[in-house]
Amino acid sequence: MRTSGFIGVSFFILLMTGCAVGNQYDYRRAEIALPVAGGGTVGMGVLENREYVLSGEKKPDFVGLQRGGFGNPFDVTTASGDGFTSDLADALEKGLRDSGFAVKRLQITSPGASAVQAEIGKNGETRNIVLTVNEWKTDIYMDMNLHFDLFLEVVSRDGQILASNRISGEEKVSGAAMSADKNSRLAESALETKIGRLFNKPEIINALRI
Amino acid sequence: MKKSCFILVAVTFLALLNGCANQELIADVDPATNLSALNTFYVVRLPTDERGVEQLIAAELNTMGKTATSGVSPTPPASVDAVVTYEDSWMWDITMYMIELTVYLQDPETEYRFATGRSYRTSLVRKTPEEMVKEVLGKIFEKQTAGESQ
Repeated sequence: MRTSGFIGVSFFILLMTGCAVGNQYDYRRAEIALPVAGGGTVGMGVLENREYVLSGEKKPDFVGLQRGGFGNPFDVTTASGDGFTSDLADALEKGLRDSGFAVKRLQITSPGASAVQAEIGKNGETRNIVLTVNEWKTDIYMDMNLHFDLFLEVVSRDGQILASNRISGEEKVSGAAMSADKNSRLAESALETKIGRLFNKPEIINALRI
Repeated sequence: MKKSCFILVAVTFLALLNGCANQELIADVDPATNLSALNTFYVVRLPTDERGVEQLIAAELNTMGKTATSGVSPTPPASVDAVVTYEDSWMWDITMYMIELTVYLQDPETEYRFATGRSYRTSLVRKTPEEMVKEVLGKIFEKQTAGESQ
């Protein structure tokens, strides 16, 4: 009887946590459609500025939490194994190319303004897109909730900020799906939407059309 | 011990059953977009869709007082205010039913998605595809109306 009780409890725990462990999302698959059609070459860099990553509490590939049956959290990471900002840069580069831009990647290793300006001064173009990720994580229990804080700047080669836009918030994206791949697709779709919104500001569009 | 086992089994059963009656209806509209200014739509048929969901969407838009056409071409044959795309998922539970429908409204030139609506209904709360289309489109346009009145 004791054995069957142990098996029952083990099965229950497995059931409650089985879907929560080791989930990965592939943000490189995101198809970002931007509200601007342009041309020419733009510089582009994506900056990691999530506090818990900068402090070392979480690794750069951290993209959210998947909770088990008792709300116990398990980290969700990128499918690529690269940092989230690296995956985001890949997706954004593709989106910009689809919108008619040639893209030159900027390697900005620190979120400080001086590091950004130094890289743009050295390797930048006439127009440079700098996207800072202050927050991006999903949190799934019964629903998928998204925590986001994204800051976009269009910067000239001499460091002048031509336009900027910021979006942030916490919102329910969807009910949680039963499979990691479905949840990944939902998260990718949320990224597609938020990046599109970030660019959908007249000042940003005009700055990129110069 | 017997009582504990019974409670454990009952809780597990209820948790599993709860998954059969899950529903979500969500819309997300760019506040910079005025949906009421959009009158003409073209619904692109999903290549894998053999059930004619694109026709249901176009029909519902027409019922809502808009002018909508649909087709297999990814680009509209004539100038429209918005292109409509969608993703549908189906499941088997005694009969096939639509478990999920996501509808996107996008700019005809840039393909920028300015509105998204999604309905997710598991078996016990299933609706017909026509009703799923109606509630998703209704939620998208309701969201815009609510935003305008704030």
